[in-house]
Amino acid sequence: MTEDLRQDTLYQLDHVSKSYTRGKERVDIFTDLTMQIGRGEFIAIMGPSGSGKTTILNLLGGIDRPSAGEIAFKGQRIDNLGQGKLATWRAHNVGFIFQFYNLMPTLTAIENVELPLLLLKMSGKERRRRAETALDIVGIADRAGHKPRQLSGGQQQRVAIARAIVADPAVLMCDEPTGDLDRESANSVLETLQLLNTELGKTIVMVTHDPAAASFAKKELHLDKGRFVEREALA
Amino acid sequence: MNRATLVRKSLFRKKVRAILLILSIAIAFFIFGALGAFYKAFNSGVEVAAADRLVTVNKINFTVTMPLAYQARVAQVEGVRNVSHASWFGGYYQEPQNFVQTFAVDPETYLIAYDELTLPPEQREAFLTDRTCLAAGRALANQYGWSLGDRIPLLSNIWQQQDGSSAWDFTICAIFDADDDAVPTNYAIFHYDYFNETLAFNRDQLGWLIVSTTDPALNAEVSQAIDALFANSPAETETTTEAAFTQAFLEQIGNIGLILTSVIGAAFATILMIVGTTMVLAVDERTKEIAVMKTLGFTAPSIFAMTLGEVFLLSLLGGLIGLGLAWTLVSLAAESLAGFIPGLGISLDIALIALALMVGLALLTGLLPAMRAMNVQISTALGKL
Amino acid sequence: MFRQSLAVTLINLKSIPQRPGMSIATIISVALVVGVLLGFSAMANGFRATVQGTGSQDVAIFLRSGAQAELNSGLSRDEVRLIEEAPGLARDSGGEAIASAELYVIVDGTKRSSGTDANIPLRGVGEDAALLRQNFELVEGRMFAPGSNDLVVGRSVQREFSGFEMGEEIRLGNNNWQIVGVFSTGGTVFDSEIWADLGVIQNLYNRGSGVQTVRARLENPDAIERVRAYAENEPRLNLDVQAEQAYYASQAGATSDLIMYLGWPLSIAMAIGAFAGAWNTLYSSVDRRTREIATLRAIGFSGFPAFVGTMAEALMLSAIGGLVGAAAVYLLFNGVSASTLGGSFTQIVFSFAVTPSAIIAGIVMALVIGFLGGLVPAIRAARVPILAVHAD
Ligand SMILES: Nc1ncnc2c1ncn2[C@@H]1O[C@H](COP(=O)(O)OP(=O)(O)OP(=O)(O)O)[C@@H](O)[C@H]1O
Ligand SMILES: [Mg+2]
Repeated sequence: MTEDLRQDTLYQLDHVSKSYTRGKERVDIFTDLTMQIGRGEFIAIMGPSGSGKTTILNLLGGIDRPSAGEIAFKGQRIDNLGQGKLATWRAHNVGFIFQFYNLMPTLTAIENVELPLLLLKMSGKERRRRAETALDIVGIADRAGHKPRQLSGGQQQRVAIARAIVADPAVLMCDEPTGDLDRESANSVLETLQLLNTELGKTIVMVTHDPAAASFAKKELHLDKGRFVEREALA
Repeated sequence: MNRATLVRKSLFRKKVRAILLILSIAIAFFIFGALGAFYKAFNSGVEVAAADRLVTVNKINFTVTMPLAYQARVAQVEGVRNVSHASWFGGYYQEPQNFVQTFAVDPETYLIAYDELTLPPEQREAFLTDRTCLAAGRALANQYGWSLGDRIPLLSNIWQQQDGSSAWDFTICAIFDADDDAVPTNYAIFHYDYFNETLAFNRDQLGWLIVSTTDPALNAEVSQAIDALFANSPAETETTTEAAFTQAFLEQIGNIGLILTSVIGAAFATILMIVGTTMVLAVDERTKEIAVMKTLGFTAPSIFAMTLGEVFLLSLLGGLIGLGLAWTLVSLAAESLAGFIPGLGISLDIALIALALMVGLALLTGLLPAMRAMNVQISTALGKL
Repeated sequence: MFRQSLAVTLINLKSIPQRPGMSIATIISVALVVGVLLGFSAMANGFRATVQGTGSQDVAIFLRSGAQAELNSGLSRDEVRLIEEAPGLARDSGGEAIASAELYVIVDGTKRSSGTDANIPLRGVGEDAALLRQNFELVEGRMFAPGSNDLVVGRSVQREFSGFEMGEEIRLGNNNWQIVGVFSTGGTVFDSEIWADLGVIQNLYNRGSGVQTVRARLENPDAIERVRAYAENEPRLNLDVQAEQAYYASQAGATSDLIMYLGWPLSIAMAIGAFAGAWNTLYSSVDRRTREIATLRAIGFSGFPAFVGTMAEALMLSAIGGLVGAAAVYLLFNGVSASTLGGSFTQIVFSFAVTPSAIIAGIVMALVIGFLGGLVPAIRAARVPILAVHAD
């Protein structure tokens, strides 16, 4: 692997396998998967339900570890990190966006955004300032003091995006981020993601069932029977 | 916002629930504090007993008297520094219900024996010289509104004078305090001689001896020597330390300690169950939130610590409120009960035990939920939706 | 409406096992409250029953004026003679009053429970003493022989104190006594006493011919007034005359009241804790069933059955708790023997008595906890909005 390649490659997956055992039965989701994800990519992963989309996001996001093979992030292996190290790695490098937003119901919007910053060394003032900036970026600064219950789905998802980017991670993992939103809100969320990709250079991996959503990405990957089939985005 | 804010907010996520839990914890600690204070005051006689003080009573029973001459004989025993004596007067003021704890004592030696009693020099002098003087304790004087110079007739429900009257006239010439709140001052003392010479029956008898030793290490020896002195006489004696004597007397009332411990135990069993089951439920309810926190990068130990912290906060809040309530009640009661239960108050050791109980409660009820929180699996919890 | 309520109540009660932890916590916390209340009242009632059950209406007890208790009293032989001449006293065929002059001293006995010394009354009595105690019965052995060092012991003394076995010799103070009999008066205070010959006690305790009290049988309960008038008008007598029953009744009050002064506030405080627990449990129960309740609302049920259902759950849990608590106290404590310092400065042995009225009070307390604890959650259940069908 050349120096050059390492510069551009964010993720390097080598011979990755993932299987689950359900009772006595073993289910293989991936066998011998090798692939790279470059910096600044915006990838949409599509595929039938149960094909392993969430599983690959979990592997990339350091939530789950492969059964075999290696996963390297910026040239450093993450598949062999312990639970604690992995958690800290996530706090510094990955932002997560979920279908159902998963905001803390007891915290206000800005507190939700501040949450990941508790894991970094930072003063209270600095945390607040960065949370405000993040809310500003996703265009929802005016709702900073609202609880999730008081926000619409689209607004909640914007807060979730702000939470995902506030620690300035290199990559965002989005699992069906627009699955629960109407077209209009979905588009505006997707536009925000696009903006984050183009303007701030965030690498984004997004799972979606919606071809329209996928069209916001630079690249679409179709997952079927443990294999990725690449297709350049039309848009 | 910081981690403490997180802990606080998640505790108060359901306000009513949190308040109810705090209330039930507060009640348990209130019961603990109040009963602890009463029990301690009740037992204070054992604690304030001087280490070098012995009590000699008639071997038959402490209500049976013995000859006055015993005082002088005991004074000869080696290792004895001071011998005083007292007799139960069975006094009441005006009405039989107005019970007044009164002892006929040998004044000079009595004040030496009980050197924790304090009174101004001129009052001490008056008490020693005036045969009809009644020296009243501060708590007793307050109870009946007596002050120096008052003339007080006291009636006895046991003794009679030669003329058939059972009233003795006294002047209050001294009011004594104690150097420690736990030392009772809810009684009065007066000259044995004044009492003895007017008695219709049972003259030249004393109730019990108060023996001070030169060194507490000699207590056992001195006790044996005193009892040997009167062995095989019509009035054999039994000498014990003041603490042991008081303890034995309290045990006559019953095993108060066991009763109170059972009640406190029941109160704590209640909150252990209520808080324990509720916290497990509270953690189960937010499995998904915990999974999200873990996804964001909170480590398992920090999730564990925050969950346990929540239970600690709960336990401390409830515990301190309860202890505060107990303190308020006990302080209010202390004044009006000073005559019956002197030294009522929440002492430092009660507060420290309460604090230990708060920690214990938090650990007992918090460890299981905290473990459950720590072990939440991100993929399964988020998969649940 | 009734059928709706019944249906919802049944659904509700059937779902209790799905919330075992909190339901059991509620039951046990209510049980503990009721247990504490019943424990204290069993103590108070047992003590009161023993003391108030002592003494008869047609026996007069004579004490020196102002003495209040037997121990404090003192009567000379002349006074005894004058008392025996009082009108209104029942007399035997020889014209002698049925009376017993008694001397009451305190001796130390060793409590079985703690091994410590405690006060036992040693009563010197004459021949008529047994006649003057209702239900007096020699359970074992014989009465003491006059002038001897024989001792008969009350059954309760034997139960609570060690060393009083039949046939044994016991040393009290510096005297040795032979235990020749055991008596019972049917669980009264006298069962906590030991008796010996009056003359022997007077002699051993240097009392000359003095006694402390006289008990005498009255012609009838009303004759007490005549006796009292006689004592007042006789200048050589300075006495308090009381019916024996009244004397003991006045002695029971203070101790048993004191027990309940402690028992009630404690159980009420604990009840507040249990109430908070019950409220909490039912809140969670309503929380969990929000969707189910909303669904019922959506298909046409009104809010009232939801209220009834939740209330039924609350009352059911607390009633079970009350019964468990009452049963536990009954099984653990009823009849258990204990002793405490009574009004006359001696140990009174009594048995814990779990009375029906105390059980009822306990169950009522349990239901009050359940009702108050269930009230707000039940109102909340009734107000669950239909839209909550979609709730998580
Ligand atoms: N913890 C687990 N244990 C066992 N099997 C699992 C586990 N997690 C996922 N699976 C299985 O792995 C397969 C892939 O799951 P995954 O969640 O990645 O699917 P997906 O592509 O995200 O589906 P969807 O579009 O429905 O979200 C499924 O068959 C699923 O049942
Ligand atoms: Mg999925």
